[in-house]
Amino acid sequence: MMIDQIHDLQQVYRNILHSMSRPGNISKLNSITKKLKEEFPCNHAFFLSALTFLDAEVTFHVIANEVKKERLTEIISSYTMSKTDTVDQADFILMLQDAPEYQIEQAFIECKVGNLRDPQLSATWILESDLLSNSAGLSLSGPGINGVQQLQTGLSPSFWQKRNEKVKEYPLGIDVILADFSSQVACIPRTTSVMITEVV
Amino acid sequence: MMTKPHFAFFDEGSKKEIRRTALKAVAIPGYQVPFASREMPIARGWGTGGLQLTLSLIGRSDVLKVIDQGADESVNAVSIKKLVQHTTGVSITEDTAAANIIQSRHRIPEKELREDQILILQVPNPEPLRKVEAREYLTKRMHAEDDYSGAWLLLFEQIMKYGRMSTGAEHPVYVNGRYVMTPSPIPRFDNPKMHQSKALILLGAGREKKIFAVPPYTDVKSMAFDDYPFAVESFEGKSCKLCGSTDVFLDEIIDPDTGERSYQCNDTSFCIEQLNKKEKEEVENSYV
Repeated sequence: MMIDQIHDLQQVYRNILHSMSRPGNISKLNSITKKLKEEFPCNHAFFLSALTFLDAEVTFHVIANEVKKERLTEIISSYTMSKTDTVDQADFILMLQDAPEYQIEQAFIECKVGNLRDPQLSATWILESDLLSNSAGLSLSGPGINGVQQLQTGLSPSFWQKRNEKVKEYPLGIDVILADFSSQVACIPRTTSVMITEVV
Repeated sequence: MMTKPHFAFFDEGSKKEIRRTALKAVAIPGYQVPFASREMPIARGWGTGGLQLTLSLIGRSDVLKVIDQGADESVNAVSIKKLVQHTTGVSITEDTAAANIIQSRHRIPEKELREDQILILQVPNPEPLRKVEAREYLTKRMHAEDDYSGAWLLLFEQIMKYGRMSTGAEHPVYVNGRYVMTPSPIPRFDNPKMHQSKALILLGAGREKKIFAVPPYTDVKSMAFDDYPFAVESFEGKSCKLCGSTDVFLDEIIDPDTGERSYQCNDTSFCIEQLNKKEKEEVENSYV
């Protein structure tokens, strides 16, 4: 791997922090992903996001088809020393694009949302998405957004409905990091109200 | 032999932990997220929280500004700047507009911050309910239950005693309508600057092991009663003796010999900028 664990991951972090504090704002990681030559079972921006936050102190759970799940789990554990855990215990939920519907559903039911005393003990979802763009699809508003922000993620409206259910009891909820194939990331924290404007 | 320090002082594991915490803090505005505060080469309670945030954020291309009570040259600011520069080699500035990371103790710069800037505030006492309840597990429960009667009571008692809210600094605020947060010991004058700020504001309390945040474009409302509205410090009729600015936070300076009072901008880099502007105008006008 040709990426620099210190300086490149610092850049990735700053971009994700920027996007998390401005939900729906798309950050580009091209300058770093182009250094990655290996083939991963996930896209490069997704891999870098995982690499930035995971280490031996936190756990993760992969949602994907069997083959990819096994490979990604192995790669993430060996790169970050992070351990895999059950979906109801994992600090990070890594979801690939072709994840089976029943696994997503189960993850939404079981994943951690924190408790009122410690709302930070919730799961952060890192998702592989379609091409992210600021065209109509989701209408975002809330802290970090000046007015309304549009975001197109390519994920199904039912996914966002389930996400909305999961953040109903603020401050409990999940935070989402989206990573696409053209090395872009966007974030949707629990405070963001997501309105589905897409007609399917 | 001196060994070269690791980039940004911390090991990568520490940075990751602080980064995860800061990300959660942004997702839950105003909530104090606990973190494993590291031992730093400065004393706890003197900016270690802010310093840890700065070191976890900073990259080689960043430009850093550190202020202490509005001044760029005071001891705390200079020591922190030296440490960060020694371990990262980033450039340091005193110009608010030129910096993209601004670490501050007790002030928000007079100049309005931009979207690409991050303000990091050092917080000695992050818990607005600590005066009401000494036990951490109980104040945590109060935050969980949205029970801020204690914070209201503190302000009410001040009104009973002094006829007005007498908070000198850290006047508590509601963030995003949910959590009550101490805005760090900034004067009331700076509280409105947090409301719908363009820049991300991160707050770090090293001794108390807490990180919290105010994302940009977030509602920050200073606590106040209908009949006792929130008011900032008034400097009516006063201006800076050096640059003549009004509508800024002024320091009162008393001459020890004559007892004469004068006022001066608290934000030194703002004051110098005004003076330079004036000088430039004077030079341009005198050129014939």
